[in-house]
Amino acid sequence: MFELNIAARHVVSNRRGTAFTLISVAIAVGIIIMSLGLTEGVRMQIVDNTVEKNPHLIISPKKGENYINMYRTLSELVRMYPGTIAVSPRLVGQGAARFRDKVEGVEFTGVIPSQENPLMAVQESMISGNFSDLKFSSNSAVIGVTLAKNLDIRPGGEFYLSLKNQSIKLKVIGLIQKGTVKDSTLIYVPLETAQNLVGQGDVVSEIGVKLSDFTTAPAMALDLNGKNRYETTSWQDFNKEIARFVGNQNVTNMLFYIFILLISAFVIANTAIMVVSRRRKEIGILMAMGATRRSILKIFLLENMLIGFPAGILGCLLGFGIARLITLLPLDVTSTGGGNAGMIIVAKPEYFVYAIIFALALNFISGLYPAYTAARLDPVKAIGSE
Amino acid sequence: MLQDLSKIYGSGVEVRALDGINLNINAGEFVAIVGPSGSGKSTLLNMIGLLDTPSSGRIFLKGIDVSRASPDERARLRNRELGFVFQYHHLIPEFSALENVMMPMLIAGKSKAEAKEKSRELLVSVGLGERLDNRPNQLSGGQNQRVAVARALVNGPSIVIGDELTGNLDTKSSQLIYDLLRDLNKKINQTFILVTHDMTLAEKTDRILRIVDGKIVCELRRKGDTFSTSEVCDLGEDDGKIKRE
Repeated sequence: MFELNIAARHVVSNRRGTAFTLISVAIAVGIIIMSLGLTEGVRMQIVDNTVEKNPHLIISPKKGENYINMYRTLSELVRMYPGTIAVSPRLVGQGAARFRDKVEGVEFTGVIPSQENPLMAVQESMISGNFSDLKFSSNSAVIGVTLAKNLDIRPGGEFYLSLKNQSIKLKVIGLIQKGTVKDSTLIYVPLETAQNLVGQGDVVSEIGVKLSDFTTAPAMALDLNGKNRYETTSWQDFNKEIARFVGNQNVTNMLFYIFILLISAFVIANTAIMVVSRRRKEIGILMAMGATRRSILKIFLLENMLIGFPAGILGCLLGFGIARLITLLPLDVTSTGGGNAGMIIVAKPEYFVYAIIFALALNFISGLYPAYTAARLDPVKAIGSE
Repeated sequence: MLQDLSKIYGSGVEVRALDGINLNINAGEFVAIVGPSGSGKSTLLNMIGLLDTPSSGRIFLKGIDVSRASPDERARLRNRELGFVFQYHHLIPEFSALENVMMPMLIAGKSKAEAKEKSRELLVSVGLGERLDNRPNQLSGGQNQRVAVARALVNGPSIVIGDELTGNLDTKSSQLIYDLLRDLNKKINQTFILVTHDMTLAEKTDRILRIVDGKIVCELRRKGDTFSTSEVCDLGEDDGKIKRE
């Protein structure tokens, strides 16, 4: 195909123009790759810090009731759902912790440690002691590190947990740091201990569920709500703002990419128009030799497209390189008061494909008008032009 | 053959570049078109070369009316039946002499091997067998123009059209080019139609047409070493050098 031959020779011989177009496209692609990688990284960090550190589903008591009685049966039912990886019945209450002259308002959670740990990965947050040791003594407690500081109590120390007229003595067997405000109010106790304190019998106030894919939570909640009168809420329901943010990211990102495409296309088209202008005589001669308008259009489109592929590769390297540098900066993205410092970048293989496609599309779009202009030239005027 | 051919430019103030031209050129003729500046010589050449379309009248090529051919048909005819040599060689600077000559054959869809072989032969025949791989910036003006002549001939056209093809050359190079054309005309019966101000070139042709204000005003035909004409033909530019009967 002679058009390809001519286009390739033009690209190679016009080093300055080719380099300019290559760099322009690479920058556009790089910005998009960097944005894709960092956005996906932020999304994953948000998901990791919010979704993965909270149950995906919460099963609450029936309407008009405060507690779940048949929690063992219900837990077994939930465990049978495919994709369920953890089920933990909990009894949550508000009380007061007193150590010597210090008193703090607390939220205590009665749990079965072997079931709570897979749900919330509690052991990972322990800074002293072993979470599973709660099972060995009904009077043991794991408390938040900030609460311990406020009460001025250390592991091994004993304090009183009070709820209304009930009060029990507990021994601190471990400290936990979740990195949230809960560190100042959180107390874990064995489920039975909490039940004794609350005095409502063998009940729980909620069941937390974790799934292998959190996006299936709404569907499972719908199904469970249809099967019993307990109220099941998904992560997406009680974190609507975050779910909306993650969803809206895609829309705003797409608009951003279109904007980048248009600006870059204008810049590249401008360069291509100058190239056409410089090559008027050559276009006229090609037409005199019998090249059709379609062939002329092909030549100039091909010139642009030939640059697209290497520009896409270069843009990928540029984008990931700059994004990597950004991730080295100490920025706390999640603003949850203790999320991971620094951003992360995600490099999915499909991003490289997107980059190449984008670069080719950009070069095609930006090359259309200049190629059309070249093809519409009057050969007589073109040959005679200065 | 051109039949009552006219070309009018402009919509407000009309300029009649060609005015009812009737002309018949046979295969193997070596024709020069002369005339003052602005007389319509180049316009006539553009019509014959199918680079432009007439406002009225008809153009016949090998007996077929091509006046209203579509742009793609005209492109195909230019490629197969016509060759062009302009005042400036207009070779593509990124390609070698050989690759430039190959271009019309590649446009015609011929194979690279066939195009290469034919182009090599032609460049040898115009005395550039040692310069196949040189680019235009590595050749002299005269050499580039010879490459342009080879390019014009590569598809075996019916007519080669030249527009002031020695305009940028020195006397010696011009002489070489014209001798080359004359030689080709005799050897392969190639038809040449040349627009020129150069009476030395015109004198080498077999037929001289004078055009003034878009009309062919007179014609000289070769008879041996001289030219004959049926009317008073003041060529103006020749200072009487061209011998008439």
